[in-house]
Amino acid sequence: MIEVASNEQSVGFRPHEARIPPRCGRKSTLRSALARERAKVARAALAQCRLCGHQCGVDRLAGPAGLCHAGAEARVFSAQTEVSDELELIPTFAIALSGCDLRCDFCITGGPSWNPREGAPLRLNPLVERAVAALQKGARTVMILGGEPTVHLPTALEIVAALPEDTKLVWKTNAHGSAQARELLDGLFDVWLADYKFGNDACARRLAKVPDYVRVVRENLLWANGHSELIVRHLVMPGHVGCCWRPVAEWLAAELPGVKVNLRSGFWPAWHSFKHSELRGTVSRIEGDRAWQIARGHGLNLIE
Amino acid sequence: MKKQRELSNDSPAPALTTEVLILPDGQILVHNLTPTFAGLLARLNPGCEQIASRITHHAAFHHEFSD
Ligand code: SF4
Repeated sequence: MIEVASNEQSVGFRPHEARIPPRCGRKSTLRSALARERAKVARAALAQCRLCGHQCGVDRLAGPAGLCHAGAEARVFSAQTEVSDELELIPTFAIALSGCDLRCDFCITGGPSWNPREGAPLRLNPLVERAVAALQKGARTVMILGGEPTVHLPTALEIVAALPEDTKLVWKTNAHGSAQARELLDGLFDVWLADYKFGNDACARRLAKVPDYVRVVRENLLWANGHSELIVRHLVMPGHVGCCWRPVAEWLAAELPGVKVNLRSGFWPAWHSFKHSELRGTVSRIEGDRAWQIARGHGLNLIE
Repeated sequence: MKKQRELSNDSPAPALTTEVLILPDGQILVHNLTPTFAGLLARLNPGCEQIASRITHHAAFHHEFSD
């Protein structure tokens, strides 16, 4: 058997209050023009970065200072056409930016996700040329991911601005962005592909060193569902079906009925998984079956 | 886990990467699956629906796909 694996507010600069160009109605406002304007706003916002749920408020223009350890410039650790994502999105030209605001010990791309200095400097024009070539060869979508792309929102918006207007764009996110980031993203991406990893804050704190996870993720998912097409992903983790998947499934059934859900069972004991006894192996058949039973029992709209 | 590689945006065709984990029970986990590698896996295991579904609609180009 072969499985596809996976994984606000200040008294200073507050761009979301006054300067963010309005939502894109594609007919009246060109997406590229809107993205270009918003990229400038997003870059200025790095002076007091509150792009993700951590709300550090640090000056990233002066260098890495926040919990993500990212400065102002993005690096790329992978950019290629892939077919491992949702069937309706593939083939996708996936652009992975180094750096992330979470510290998931089981991260399958732990090196470049935890270290924004990995990868190569992003050169916009050659990268966009490769994306366009992939689209011409049959790629259906362009996906911007990480690490976590929210950390590099200015660069992500610059990529959007440079892509053809009709490109189907996927925002692959950990759903831990801030209201400011959401506002800057509003109307630009066709699909939000969002992780809902942990069903409770204790597991989130222990495995990803993130406080207040559940509230922030739910806020993002509810927003994304109202502002674009939303696909929610959950990676089944060994030993976390009852504490993480069950509450996630219950909440999705109650609050986002009908939303597309991709339940991924190809857990890969990568990176620092060894630090947690339950994460040293893969998902057992019994646990996998239980996860699927929970999904079906809640009537979730499961997709592959 | 991911091997650090020099990804030059100046190059028109940087190396593509797929990662594979083969478990003792024969299960194969795949990450960053490229069309080319999906084609290879499909040939190795023609009965696998999960891989077949990833190349079925794109069979025309998965052999020559490179970027
Ligand atoms: S992106 Fe998040 S973690 Fe990084 S500096 Fe900004 S608020 Fe902090």
